[in-house]
Amino acid sequence: MKKSEVRSQKSGGTPKNQRFFGAEDSGTVHEKLKGFRGWQASIVVCILLLTAYCLLPSTASAHRVNVYAYAEDGKVFVEGYFVDGTKAMNSLVEVFDAETGQKLLEGKTNKEGLFSFRIPRLTALRLVLTASMGHKNDYIISREEVAEALGQSGVNSQEAEVSKQRTGQNDEVAAERVVVSSKEIERVVTKVLDRKLQPIKNILLKMQQEASRPGMTEIIGGIGYIMGIMGIVLYFKSRRNT
Amino acid sequence: MHISEGILSTPVLTAGAALAMGGVALGLKRMDYEKIPEVAVLSSAFFVASLIHVPLGPTSVHLVLNGLVGVLLGWMAFPSILVALALQALLFQFGGFTVLGVNTFNMAAPAVASYYLFNLLVRRGNRAVTAVAAFLSGALGVGGGAFLIALSLVTTGEEFLSVARLVFLAHLPVMLIEGIITSFCVLFLKKVKPEILEVGM
Repeated sequence: MKKSEVRSQKSGGTPKNQRFFGAEDSGTVHEKLKGFRGWQASIVVCILLLTAYCLLPSTASAHRVNVYAYAEDGKVFVEGYFVDGTKAMNSLVEVFDAETGQKLLEGKTNKEGLFSFRIPRLTALRLVLTASMGHKNDYIISREEVAEALGQSGVNSQEAEVSKQRTGQNDEVAAERVVVSSKEIERVVTKVLDRKLQPIKNILLKMQQEASRPGMTEIIGGIGYIMGIMGIVLYFKSRRNT
Repeated sequence: MHISEGILSTPVLTAGAALAMGGVALGLKRMDYEKIPEVAVLSSAFFVASLIHVPLGPTSVHLVLNGLVGVLLGWMAFPSILVALALQALLFQFGGFTVLGVNTFNMAAPAVASYYLFNLLVRRGNRAVTAVAAFLSGALGVGGGAFLIALSLVTTGEEFLSVARLVFLAHLPVMLIEGIITSFCVLFLKKVKPEILEVGM
């Protein structure tokens, strides 16, 4: 208490400050306001930082790395990027068998944060990306997706075998022609679809990247939480004091 | 300056949590009624600072402000930083709850060091001394944090010197920027409200 009296005297002696904060001079109000006036000053820091964050929307970031991957044509393409979309260059990618946990292979991302590899076997894959300085994340490619990517050839060859047997047994040229042409159609359709879907894939990737960037809601919410915690602490402390 | 989940081993995580808990307890004991709003505001500043990024080579770094928190709060930096990191983990998925202890200690310990080394100079010194001391406390906060992160990562089998060099080099520009920001903040606070620099220890 003694200390705070001294302090109030000290700040009372500098009228310039009081004008700055517009505080009243009367004893008790002044005493009460004293603790809170101080953090008006530091709130300026907070607001400045927030503004700076808004003004610098597209700079690089650390603290969280994301992985996105898709399987296609027997290969898996992995992309690593930080929260705001900066690519995770030269980062270690480890590929695990998600079913057995066995490590299958590893590699490093290139300058675009990309890494691709041939699918070693038909299984669900877990991709673990480790960026520098303790940033890490993983992504799982389901067995179905892997099968799809590998499987186009796998399923087709099975079909082809069946059709061969059939043609062998029945010796029907017409049937063979139908099978071949349907295979051809499938191949062409897949190719066209891939090409048509590429922009959509890119949009999805971009949306995912944007969604992973912290938004205003979270930031303001977080500050709100801190103020709330402050309120709770003040409440309990004040009850103890009285 | 956040270590992700799943990198550190359990003993390191436990040790970090224990150290952080000790620091938080000390901080709470020293936190008197008048300081609570200040602790909360600096906690918010720390919470937001991590979103301001500085692009750098293969990775990128962000402001930390633990030096500023430390020089103004002393041991109370521990609860302040703990709250901010917990909310960052919750809302942004930076770091994570299992590494909360380690991250808190890594950020708050250099902050407390800043307090012990520079608070007196900041309070008693003239304008120039205050500016330099505040600059150094900002730089020490980040530099010390980087050192502790490197130390934590060594336990995962990474070679200390290479990690330390990488983390340290990455944070050199941040140290500079933070030093300047801390310097301005402290000078401003000293001018308008000098008693904010007093910490009841």
